[in-house]
Amino acid sequence: MDRREFLKRTAALGLGGVALLLPGGVRRAFGAREGLPGLAAVRGGEPGEMFDRGVAALGGMGRFVKKGQTVVIKPNMSWDVPPERGGNTNPELVERIVRRCLEAGASKVYAFDHTCDLWRNSYRNSGVEEAVKRGGGVAAPADTSGYFQKVPLPGGRVLKETAVHELLLECDVFINVPVLKHHGGAGITMGMKNLMGTVWNRGEFHSKGLHQCIADVSLFRRPALTVIDAYRMMTRHGPRGTSEGDVTVLKAQILSTDIVAGDAAAARIFGADPKNVAYIRNAAEMGIGTMDLESLGVERIAL
Amino acid sequence: MRFLLAFTVAALFLAWFLFRAGRADMPLLPALQAVPSILRWWGGAAALALGAMVAGRAYCSVLCPLGTFQEAVWRAGRRRLSGYAPGSPVRYWILALVLAAGAAGLAAVPALLDPYAAFGRGVTQLLRPSLAGGIDSLAGFFESLGLYGVISGTGRVPFVPGLFWSTAAFFLALTLWSLRKGRPFCDALCPVGTFLGLFSRSSLLSIRFSGESCTGCGLCGTVCPQECISVKERTVDADRCVLCLRCVDACPGGALSLSFGGGGQSLSRRGLLRTAAGTLAALGVVFWSSKKDDTVAAAASSRDEKLPVSPPGSKSRGNFTKKCVACTACVAACPAGIIRPSLGEWGAAGLFQPVLDYRRGYCQYGCTACGDACPTGAIESLEPEEKQLVSIGKARFLRRNCIVRKYGTACGACSEHCPTQAMRMVPFRGGLTIPELDPSICLGCGACEYACPAEPKAVTVSGLAVHGKIRPVSGGEGGPTVAPLEEFPF
Repeated sequence: MDRREFLKRTAALGLGGVALLLPGGVRRAFGAREGLPGLAAVRGGEPGEMFDRGVAALGGMGRFVKKGQTVVIKPNMSWDVPPERGGNTNPELVERIVRRCLEAGASKVYAFDHTCDLWRNSYRNSGVEEAVKRGGGVAAPADTSGYFQKVPLPGGRVLKETAVHELLLECDVFINVPVLKHHGGAGITMGMKNLMGTVWNRGEFHSKGLHQCIADVSLFRRPALTVIDAYRMMTRHGPRGTSEGDVTVLKAQILSTDIVAGDAAAARIFGADPKNVAYIRNAAEMGIGTMDLESLGVERIAL
Repeated sequence: MRFLLAFTVAALFLAWFLFRAGRADMPLLPALQAVPSILRWWGGAAALALGAMVAGRAYCSVLCPLGTFQEAVWRAGRRRLSGYAPGSPVRYWILALVLAAGAAGLAAVPALLDPYAAFGRGVTQLLRPSLAGGIDSLAGFFESLGLYGVISGTGRVPFVPGLFWSTAAFFLALTLWSLRKGRPFCDALCPVGTFLGLFSRSSLLSIRFSGESCTGCGLCGTVCPQECISVKERTVDADRCVLCLRCVDACPGGALSLSFGGGGQSLSRRGLLRTAAGTLAALGVVFWSSKKDDTVAAAASSRDEKLPVSPPGSKSRGNFTKKCVACTACVAACPAGIIRPSLGEWGAAGLFQPVLDYRRGYCQYGCTACGDACPTGAIESLEPEEKQLVSIGKARFLRRNCIVRKYGTACGACSEHCPTQAMRMVPFRGGLTIPELDPSICLGCGACEYACPAEPKAVTVSGLAVHGKIRPVSGGEGGPTVAPLEEFPF
C-alpha cells in the first residue's frame, strides 16, 4: 500500500463511518450494503429476465460495477457443444450481464475461459463468444500459457501457487458465471469449479486432489458476484454430456455475493446436500464463504 | 501473362496451405494436381495423358507450384543459361521407380518425388513454423493494447524438427540448383513431368521454329529454363518443353511461336517406342490408383500391438499408407494440431505420412477438417454425424495407474472429456468414483489419454488397423426433460 492508496482508504473508511451514522433510508440511497440480501434465487423466467430481477433484488448492478471499471466475466464455454446441450453457460444470460455491466458504466468487459475442448471451436459453438460480442464485450483467448501469470495462494492446503489469467489479475470487478451441471469427477460443477477455467494448471488439480484444489483456487480472488445458470441443467454424463436427453429445462438461476453460499444453494437445486460436496465443505471450513444461506439474507423470486 | 497466371496459382496454393486447408467452404485446390488426382481416381491419369497430348507440358508451367517456385528463383537470379543440354535418361528410371513403388504400396517414394507434396511440406513444415513467431508476436502486441482478435495467433503448429531440417535442406538445394539451371527438378527428376513428356511429343500445342527468320543468334537458348532448344537443329524437345513461352518472347525475329496442329514429328521407331512406354506408364498409374485398399486383409491379428492412429476417414492402415503422399495438407488443416508427420511410426515406407499425436491434444468430436483437406483420398471427407461414429482406435484403461486408485482422490478427467461416455465414472470405495471403459462405444479420439493426469498414463489409445463403427450413443432421442423448478429447496 503506497501513500496515495492509504489516504484513499482512510477517506473511504471515514465516509463509510459517516454513512453508518445516517438513517437507514438515506444509507440505502447511497448504495450501502446493509439490509440488502446476499443471495437471490430466481425461477420460472428466461435467463436474461431472471438475471435482471435477481440483480435488482441484490441492489442493482451499481452495487457491483462502478463507472470506469474494467470487468472480467468468467462464463463456462469449455466445451464444443451447442447451447441446447447445457454444457456451457447460457449465451443469452452472458449477453445480458455484459450489457448490464456496460450500462452501469464499465469501461471494458472481458470474457475468457481456459477451455477443455479446442478453444476456437468451444468459443464459437457454445454461442458464448458471439453473445459476449453482441453485448458489447470482448471474448479474450486463454489458450496458451503466455496469458497466465504465476501467483501464490497463501492459505492453500494443497495448491500453494497457481497461474492466473492476466485479465483476472488486472480487472477491477470479477463476475463468475458458471452453469450448473453434473460432473463425473467432482459430482456437481458450478461456481468454484468454474474457476478452474481461470488458471493454466488445471490438469494439476486432478493429480493433486480435485476437491481441495477447487477450494484452494477459490482463495485467489472471490468474485463480486456469482451467477449460477440453471436454465438448462445437465443431470448426467457431465460435464460434457452426450445428448440433449441429459438435460432438464429447469429455468432457475442463483445470484450470490458469496461463492460458497451460491454453490450450496445450487447443490440443493441439483438435489444434493452441500455438506456432501467436498469442495463446498472444504471451502466453508477455510472461511472462503458460508454454507449458511440465511446468514446472508436470501431473496426468493418466482416469475 | 503466363507467368502471372502461374504465380497466381502458386500463391493460391501457398495461401491454401497456410490459412485455408480443411475449411469446408473452400474448393479443394490440390485436386487439380497430378498425383492427387491420379490417386483419387484412375481417370485422373487418363485426363493428364489427354491433356499432355493437347497442351504438352503446360501443366508444369501453369499449375505446378513447385515449378513456379523454381522459375521465380531463377528469374530473381537473372542468370542466362548456356543453351541446349540433352535430356537425361535417368528421369525415365525415376518414373519407373515411382510407378513400381506406388503399385507396390511403398508410398514414400512418390511422396518424396511428387512436386505437389514437396511444395506442401515446404509451406507447412518450413514456411509456417518460420512465420509463426512473427504472427504470434504481432498478435501479442495487439493484445497488449487490449485489442483481442485483431490477429489470431497461429495456435498449435506441430513442429517436427526432423522434417523441418530435411525440408529446409531440400529447398536450399533446389534454390541453389534453380539459380544455376532454371527448372532442374522439372527437367531431371520430376515423375509427373516425365509422364506428361511421354505424351507431349506430338501435342497439338507446341513451340516451333517457323519460317526462315531465325538468324541463329541463340538468345532463345539462354532464356529456356529447360535447356531444351537446339538452335543448331532448329528444334525444341517437345517432351521437355513446358510451354513457358520465354523463348517466344525473347526471339527478336519472331522465329519461334506457339503453334497449333500436329505434324511436328513423323512416326518413327523412336516415336513408337515412346508411345509404347507412355501407354505402359499410364497403365502402371491406373493400376496404382485402382488398387483396392486391403482393408479386410489387413484386419489386425495382434490386438496387443500399439499401433499408430490414422486420421478419421482414412478407413484402414492399408488404404491410408497407400494413398498418402505426405503433402501435409491435413497437418495444416487440423485445428487441434494433433496431426503430425510421422518419423517411422508407419515404417520406412510411410515416412512423413501423418499420425495422430495425442500428447498434443485430441481429435475433436465434431471436426472433419483433415478429410476435407485431403486431396488424394487417403483421408476421405466425412460428414460430422458420420465421423462421430467412426472408431479410429481403442482406449485401454490401466486401473493400477489411475490416480483414483493410487492416491484415493477424485479425478474423472478422462470421463469428463469423453464424448461418448465410453469412459464413465462408477462408484468406488469411500464415495469416490473410478472410470470404467466400454470399448464398444470408444472412438479412439484420444480425449481420455490427453486429459489423464496420471504419470504414466492410466489410459492410452491404440490405433485400429481397420477403422470400425460404433453404435449411436446419443440416448434420450426425445430431447430434454422439461421440468421447471416448482419451489426452492432452501
